[in-house]
Amino acid sequence: MIELLDRLAAEALVMQSPAKIEVRGLEFFYGKTRALNAVDLTVSANAVTAIIGPSGCGKSTLLRTINRIYELYPDQRASGEIVIDGRNVLDPRYRLPELRRSVGMVFQKPTPFATNIRKNVAFALSYYERLPKAELADRVEDALRQAALWEEVKDKLDASALSLSGGQQQRLCIARTLAVRPEIILLDEPTSALDPISTAKIEELIHELRKHFTIVIVTHNMQQAARVSQRTAFFHLGELIEVGDTPQIFTNPHVQRTQDYITGRYG
Amino acid sequence: MPLRRKLADLVALLFAMAATLFGLIWLVWILWTTLAEGAAAITPALFTQMTPPPGSSGGLLNAFYGSAVMVLLALAIGTPLGIAAGTYLAEHGRNSRLAAVVSFLNDVLLSAPSIVIGLFVYELVVRPAGHFSGYAGALALAMILLPIVVRTTDESLRLVPNQMREAAFALGLPAWRVTSRIIYKSALSGIITGILLGLARIAGETAPLLFTALNNQFWSASIAQPLANVPVVIFQYAMSPYDEWHALAWAGALVLTTFVLGLNLMVRFFARKGSK
Repeated sequence: MIELLDRLAAEALVMQSPAKIEVRGLEFFYGKTRALNAVDLTVSANAVTAIIGPSGCGKSTLLRTINRIYELYPDQRASGEIVIDGRNVLDPRYRLPELRRSVGMVFQKPTPFATNIRKNVAFALSYYERLPKAELADRVEDALRQAALWEEVKDKLDASALSLSGGQQQRLCIARTLAVRPEIILLDEPTSALDPISTAKIEELIHELRKHFTIVIVTHNMQQAARVSQRTAFFHLGELIEVGDTPQIFTNPHVQRTQDYITGRYG
Repeated sequence: MPLRRKLADLVALLFAMAATLFGLIWLVWILWTTLAEGAAAITPALFTQMTPPPGSSGGLLNAFYGSAVMVLLALAIGTPLGIAAGTYLAEHGRNSRLAAVVSFLNDVLLSAPSIVIGLFVYELVVRPAGHFSGYAGALALAMILLPIVVRTTDESLRLVPNQMREAAFALGLPAWRVTSRIIYKSALSGIITGILLGLARIAGETAPLLFTALNNQFWSASIAQPLANVPVVIFQYAMSPYDEWHALAWAGALVLTTFVLGLNLMVRFFARKGSK
């Protein structure tokens, strides 16, 4: 009952929440191969938007375009617009540190840096802000609490991050991202390398984080999309096929291809 | 049929073992001879006295000093340059033409005979200066060390998964900070291994020093002058007709071998630490 109320409240929130990211006419190329074709998508603020679709449909590519991480590879390019808070972030004049500070990203495989837990979280933070030691410690604690990891690591902040379990490492990566106080968090199949218990913890965490952040999650697990998101977008062959409120997409899709994918006809 | 397979297996195994044994015999023989001949001359005097004139006793102090100075100087020149160049190849120049050219030339330098490098430095430094010097020797050694450090740095950086780079860049950090704080840390054991291997290599080089540092029978702390060094002393003393010099050559060889062996053990230690 409470869950249902929660859900209704969440959906009401989505209805009135303004757009945080607006993707307009986005095209993406790996060399000469087109990976995204004329994508238009609006992502609501303070909600979880799930991107689903079969492998190679362009869902990760979309995510990698939002924080321009694709620019690490010279043969990849994007055209079109991604407007965040009224500014097109694909404009080369948009400063990358500014963009990536406000748009955090967590990857498929946990990527702890080869140093201790504290430094993993403080690393980017101490680059952006010159904080006194005590305040830095507070911010590290805050981030770890937000990532639901504090209780497990508070006594071993100086231990190597590599000594943590896979699920803990992934939450550490989330904490690392949260520490610089982003507004948007991109999750690229964040649980695909984790066991079911760790996965459940991360999903709970996403549920909590939704209140403060705009979250876009790519997942190949449809149950996960249904569990964690309020909005779902279905991609196929580089095109956005359908986007809508999650319950609608999973119970009453308007497009046949969405229906086919959700019922397991392909994928 | 199974019998034939078993037989083939046995024969192959025996061949493999024989080949291994053949390779090992020489190594053990060399080590044993060095130990047997050198051990007798390992005395306190070896480390406290200068190289003697024929017919009197002495040690190798000046040679040890000269070798240490030149090797350290070569490290000081070759390591930063090599790490910087390796970083360029692996991190910043991945898709550039220049990097491909540099990488190729580095391979050429890596396999250049050391005597050629000695001659090059002779023409570059010794002839214009008019005399042999420790600086010239160190420069020649640095040029042998450099491509080793470049290659191992490049390779250990390439072993760092791209996901690590993406994760660091996704935090909005500039490239220099990602490289210096994150990527180097992951590649550290590989880079140190490369430096130690390079060190082991240059510690025993003789040919490039013959044309550059030459040798010095007397105590000379000045790097600007010809400098005594272990490999050239071994070379000259071993060729001489004097028994005292022979003994010193063996002792020098033993110390040098032990040093290089120790470095290799350290390399194994670091390599294992890295793969953990």
